[in-house]
Amino acid sequence: MAINTNLILPLLVALPVIFAGVCQLLSSAVVILRFCVAGVVLVAFLVCWAVAMVFHNGAIIADGKWLMLDSLSAYHAVVMIIVFVISALFAVGYFSDEIDKNEFTVKIARRYGSLWFGSMGAMMLVLVSNNLGTMWIGMEATTLMTAFLICVHRTAASLEAMWKYLMMCSVGVAAAFTGILLAAASTGSAGINSTDALLWTNMMASAKSLDPILIKAAFIFIVVGYGTKAGLAPMHSWLPDAHSQAPGPVSAIFSGFLLNAALYCILRFLPLVEAVTGNTGWGRGILVVFGLLSILVAAVFILGQRDVKRMLAYSSVEHIGLIALGVGLGGLGVFAALFHMLNHSICKSMSFCCAGRVGQVYGTHDMRKTTDILRTVPVWGAGLIAGILALIGVAPFAIFLSEFIMLKTAVDSAKYWTAGLLLAGVGVVFIGALRHAISMAWRPVEGNGMADVGAGKVSLSDVPLIVVPLSILLVLGLWMPQPLATFIIRAAAIIGGLS
Amino acid sequence: MNLLMDSILVLLIIASFMLLSSSRLSTCIKIGALQGLMVGLLPIVPGGSALTYRVTAIAVVIAGMKGFVFPYLLSRTLRESNTFKETSPYVGYTASIFIGILSLVASFWLDSRLRLPVAAASRLVIPVAFSMMMTGLLMIMGRRTAVNQVIGYLVMENGIYTFGLAIVRDVPLLVEVGVLMDMFVAVFVMGIAIYRINREFDHIDSDQLNTLKG
Repeated sequence: MAINTNLILPLLVALPVIFAGVCQLLSSAVVILRFCVAGVVLVAFLVCWAVAMVFHNGAIIADGKWLMLDSLSAYHAVVMIIVFVISALFAVGYFSDEIDKNEFTVKIARRYGSLWFGSMGAMMLVLVSNNLGTMWIGMEATTLMTAFLICVHRTAASLEAMWKYLMMCSVGVAAAFTGILLAAASTGSAGINSTDALLWTNMMASAKSLDPILIKAAFIFIVVGYGTKAGLAPMHSWLPDAHSQAPGPVSAIFSGFLLNAALYCILRFLPLVEAVTGNTGWGRGILVVFGLLSILVAAVFILGQRDVKRMLAYSSVEHIGLIALGVGLGGLGVFAALFHMLNHSICKSMSFCCAGRVGQVYGTHDMRKTTDILRTVPVWGAGLIAGILALIGVAPFAIFLSEFIMLKTAVDSAKYWTAGLLLAGVGVVFIGALRHAISMAWRPVEGNGMADVGAGKVSLSDVPLIVVPLSILLVLGLWMPQPLATFIIRAAAIIGGLS
Repeated sequence: MNLLMDSILVLLIIASFMLLSSSRLSTCIKIGALQGLMVGLLPIVPGGSALTYRVTAIAVVIAGMKGFVFPYLLSRTLRESNTFKETSPYVGYTASIFIGILSLVASFWLDSRLRLPVAAASRLVIPVAFSMMMTGLLMIMGRRTAVNQVIGYLVMENGIYTFGLAIVRDVPLLVEVGVLMDMFVAVFVMGIAIYRINREFDHIDSDQLNTLKG
């Protein structure tokens, strides 16, 4: 077992990196897309193995304490791998038309495959790092890896979106590095050996002797810096551009896990701040403010949105806000937030892929033109509409449940203003998005503009891609398996949920 | 020995102001290179922490990257694109200098308020670092050309690196190398991005010329 634990965590990072290299050697676009599926399944097995070890034996701390996988990061790893599986499966169908039209050439496919696996490796590095420095390295690497994924289709708009993303997130992540330096400086009085000073476990162990003012300053930089990458308002302005310009399977990764990876870095920092400030809720308060702001800003922008992918992008801002808010509320809210993260990632990655396919058929993402989608593109249309309904919190789906628990936590802890603002934001999103969804689903097509839209090819193999994620959400909304609940509770305990 | 350190720090500030006031991109790259070189060599200025082989080696590598590799990548990008001057920045040059002075004052004020523990030889290091960070941000937000925004990013990184030198005694080698790698790739990626943007937009321009012809 000892050999295994020292090997499995580096392997989790190394395997995607190796696959990224292999992609350069493959000689056909179809083969590369299939290799993505095979590769992600292999990584998924490894992740499952590692997660099972964490679940049964507790946190894995390996390689001179530099790498660690505890319940919190293991839970994130599970969500991540689900998102990547969805993205890989959708990509095969998504790019097949473009391969036929010779738009998705081998050269582009190689770049796509390598960057896709590369970003997986970088996100994995973020999750398995115990050292705040290497965690930062992974986070910056995700920015660099995913930048060119945005402009797989090289248009002026996608290049602009890519540049905005690259600059904003690089600056944001650089600000987070200032936070890490401040955190390192705070260990000065704790007497930790300076090479071990950035290890999270060491900092947690000697939280009492860290300098509280420096840690507070560090947390502000961390929240603003990583918050930029996570898409918390008001630092979210890169997000709708990047999400709407990237091809569907890439937007799925962006929205499904890239944002969560950045938020994870903030969550890692939270228990440290709380321990240093004596559990007064100082750090949680900051998260509540940013969370509420994100929900409200997103709500306003969703109302007037015309582009379906931009609407989904703003919905991601809303949901990241909800997760931050849930964690900020503490107690049961942390549990709800982590549960919400899983639901949102599954639902949003599926919705983005469907929106991408619908957009391919219509040639536009403008919701005023993509009407009557249930008839024109039955499978993807239904998936998109069902996804939007689940995202805004329609009752039997799991997102309703997690939002409801958050609301209950806020009311129970007598934070009526928070509860009211949360309800207002979610309500506005509900109405705004529902209006868009209804018009997309049933409003008849105007004029004869639709004559040139060939009916989307319906193949039965696409149906499970929609049905499986939706039924998972449906089941989770009605019944939660005991192991999952235990897993989430353990993960929540690390960031101050009920223990 | 503090005299040498302080003179370098003053030179860093002067470099920031020159960056804020010059419109020629090639000049900006050179000034940025000079600033990077000086920042990179800060750890081996006598009077600071004890010199070890490790510190010296890393300092030389960082100085080389900031002073030669990054500017080389940037000037190659500049040659390939057809922009040589920042003609209409969002924030004008006079205003930039004015904001630069204000941010310098703010940096000294902030330093006097924060009273951070300083591990470096000179007390001036922290305000200078703050001022470089703000200058970098100002360049990213106030300049229109992509090359200048990248220089702004590098100036901001210079500030953060200097700040790190001032308050952290020792960053693990692996982290330091990783950060350096990330920065290298960042500049590289930004360079390719600028190249592509130029090509795409030139392409659009020539298309328009074609349509106007007939």
